[in-house]
Amino acid sequence: MASDPQKQGSGKLYDYTEGNGYPGDQQALRLRRISSPASSQNYPQFNWSSAPSEEDENGNSEPHRDLRSAPLPMALKRAIRQVQQMHVPVVSSVESWKRKKTKSLHKLKDNARGFLTLWNKSLQKIGGNFGGGVQSYFLFLRFLVVLNFVSFLLIAGFVLIPNIVFRSDGTSLANSTGPEKCMEYDPNPQGLVVFYKYFLDLLSGTGFMEYSYLFYGYYNNTLGEDRNFSYNIPLAYLFTVVFYFIFCLICIIARMGTAARVAVATGGSTVANYSMIVFTGWDYGCLGGKATKLKQNNIHYRLQVDLEEERIKKQAAALTSCQKVVLYSLRVLMFLISCGLIGAAFYCIFLATNFSQQRSGEQGILGLIFEYLPSIVITAGNFLVPLLCDQIALIERYAPSTTVIMALLRAVFLRLVSLGALLFTLWRQITCEGHTDSGACELCQYNHEVYPCWETRVGQEMYKLTLFDFLINVAVLVLVEFPRRMVVDNWPSKLAQWVGRQEFVVPYNVLSLVYGQTVVWTGALFCPLLPLINTIKFVILFYCKKITLFYNCRPALKTFRSTTSAFFFLVVLLFGWILATAVMIYSLAEIRPSMGCGPFRFLSNIWSIVPTSFYSLSTTTQEFLFFIGSQAFTIPLFVLSCVVMCYFIALASVYGKNVALLRAQLKLEGRDKQFLVKQIAELSRQLQIPKHNGVQDCR
Amino acid sequence: MGTTASKLGKDLLSEYQELTFLTKQEILCAHKRFTELLTKDEKDLPNARVPMERILTLPELKSNPFRERICHVFSTSEDKDGSLTFEDFLDLLSAFSDSATLEIKSHYAFRIFDFDDDGTLDRGDLEKLVNCLTGETDDTRLTPEEMRQLISNILEESDIDKDGTVNLSEFQHVISRSPDFVSSFKIVL
Repeated sequence: MASDPQKQGSGKLYDYTEGNGYPGDQQALRLRRISSPASSQNYPQFNWSSAPSEEDENGNSEPHRDLRSAPLPMALKRAIRQVQQMHVPVVSSVESWKRKKTKSLHKLKDNARGFLTLWNKSLQKIGGNFGGGVQSYFLFLRFLVVLNFVSFLLIAGFVLIPNIVFRSDGTSLANSTGPEKCMEYDPNPQGLVVFYKYFLDLLSGTGFMEYSYLFYGYYNNTLGEDRNFSYNIPLAYLFTVVFYFIFCLICIIARMGTAARVAVATGGSTVANYSMIVFTGWDYGCLGGKATKLKQNNIHYRLQVDLEEERIKKQAAALTSCQKVVLYSLRVLMFLISCGLIGAAFYCIFLATNFSQQRSGEQGILGLIFEYLPSIVITAGNFLVPLLCDQIALIERYAPSTTVIMALLRAVFLRLVSLGALLFTLWRQITCEGHTDSGACELCQYNHEVYPCWETRVGQEMYKLTLFDFLINVAVLVLVEFPRRMVVDNWPSKLAQWVGRQEFVVPYNVLSLVYGQTVVWTGALFCPLLPLINTIKFVILFYCKKITLFYNCRPALKTFRSTTSAFFFLVVLLFGWILATAVMIYSLAEIRPSMGCGPFRFLSNIWSIVPTSFYSLSTTTQEFLFFIGSQAFTIPLFVLSCVVMCYFIALASVYGKNVALLRAQLKLEGRDKQFLVKQIAELSRQLQIPKHNGVQDCR
Repeated sequence: MGTTASKLGKDLLSEYQELTFLTKQEILCAHKRFTELLTKDEKDLPNARVPMERILTLPELKSNPFRERICHVFSTSEDKDGSLTFEDFLDLLSAFSDSATLEIKSHYAFRIFDFDDDGTLDRGDLEKLVNCLTGETDDTRLTPEEMRQLISNILEESDIDKDGTVNLSEFQHVISRSPDFVSSFKIVL
């Protein structure tokens, strides 16, 4: 029949442009499709007489955005645009000038955004070659760089520069009351200093670096005065540090908000998992045969893993109670073992810090090693324990996705605990194990013999940790990753192929970033320039990691989901922030500041500068601040915020119900369609109308 | 369009900027790459059409398992041979660009996956899709058992109206819940 070849070639072809809202003679199109296969199949017969529905006076951007989102070939879009332009009403010159200005403003905004965002091109290249998971690591790194830099500007503006300005003049805020012995603090090196000692001092923050703007001990407790302007330096120092913490918290939460919005919208990763992998799994940015093959292996692996996980779940549900008991007791045992490992690491760090403190003051390279011993032990622990935990996870036989999360949580816990162990040992030595009225701490409430200026000492420890972490990263890069790649590429042996090129494992790299940032936060009170050092460190780290990614690494086999991971990284960062805040609050409130150095000497604790300065304000300000702190203000505020929160919860539940309703409606419409099709088939059978192509089109 | 050192006219350039999601640099870069594919004679033709084999020599498309489907979807050729003009090429890059909307990406993704061009994704389409994703060789394919389990899972998750196929709106519903789709459905020259 004449229609048969047409049927094969064109009859079954679905016209994708039908449902696009452009007016057209749909019926005529279908008939035309049957009769003339040579005519344009994909082009709707545009009805030139009717005007396009949106004729807006807001500006040219609206119809053009609509045009760009129309899935039509270029020639059609051009034709539609011409029609739209023909129908544009006559506008006054003022309006057309306004439109031109908004258009150029839009273009300028887009260009500026592309220019100001740091490292945009590099990130795109990374994402294209290695996928979203690796790119999320670099996005996180960029966020930390910007955060640290802005914090540095904050600290420089309120602490550093006033100190430089008011260095020489200024009246001391509190009188020197206290035992003479407590105020002895002489950080300047005595006599001739050996040349290489400068290098050692640079690495450990002692010697010429100790009495400098880098550490707490250099700042004075003066009230800088200049004509009729006075600047309370200690108060500024305290408030800047507190505000720095609050600022970081706000930034993290704001960023978490955007990430959470996406995560909540996707409604959980387990729903529609297979469809998600199959429909959205392919990365079109993969270049080259090797990357494609890797991606294909990756997807194959994921599908197999998910299918196997489903089978395992079915099996697990079918386990007898005896087998369940065995499995659960095994898991409890492994959990205890992992806790034991973490506890052992804690104890080792404790021992190392004690040893290092006892042997401090030794000279030369050995002295340097003893100084860096806590950092060395922490890094070794952070390297070994995750390896062991990975082996433990194999025995536990959780589902693969749970295994990854458990491993990461253990690694996070380990990192933060090791930092906590270091701080705990320091605290023990500074406050003589908490008994500030006995032993060496009796005179000044802190151990003034070993720590004449304990804040500087804590700052030095944090400085050393930061520096050591950075040096280790660079050393691993140079000494492990580059040689590994050279060996794998140039030595064709089976062993080399089995070891393979380095894989860029995102979670552990992120944890190292979180650890570094937590160290900086902990040390910010004692070493104000630490954010600047950290900014420089992270910038260099960005370029080093980028280089190693492109030259040494191959794309990971097990991918890390990019959007849920962004949220997870920020949650982990928040843990670090909480630890640092706890340390800061404790130092502010509980430990007596050193009497020999720093802006808070002669106060009983750092926070007491606030009440002291408070009473020097005018009475009206005092009364206002009292009012804000009183119950008459805070209780209504609390009630108001509860009401606002209830409103948002109600709104969210309404939207959720809406989504469920629409989904049900979609199902019903599908069923209606099936019912109607059956009716048509029924009717056509009854009336004996021959089966037409039109019936196929209805589907 | 013109000689070897051809440049796009300013009007054409701004028109392309308005009709696609590409920036000026991207359009010029696309023009350069496209003219590299043309033979000497074709360079003089105003709307030269490049056959699919030559398009597939582009490194961005060469190893993509969906390369032939992509060419077919964006081709406006009457012979359905997958050949592209420069404007088809721009449409392709626009749909795969950074700033394209989710709707247009999901629309074209659906068309690419619809191997038999019948407007829905049935079992045959899904099977071909999975084979493209995992690799065509025998050792990278899923076993028939796994394939069956996978496709029934997919249909169970995405086929809302239970007609045995996934249509465009069901497909877009699945895509809308994936936040990674927009960033992975990208080809940048």
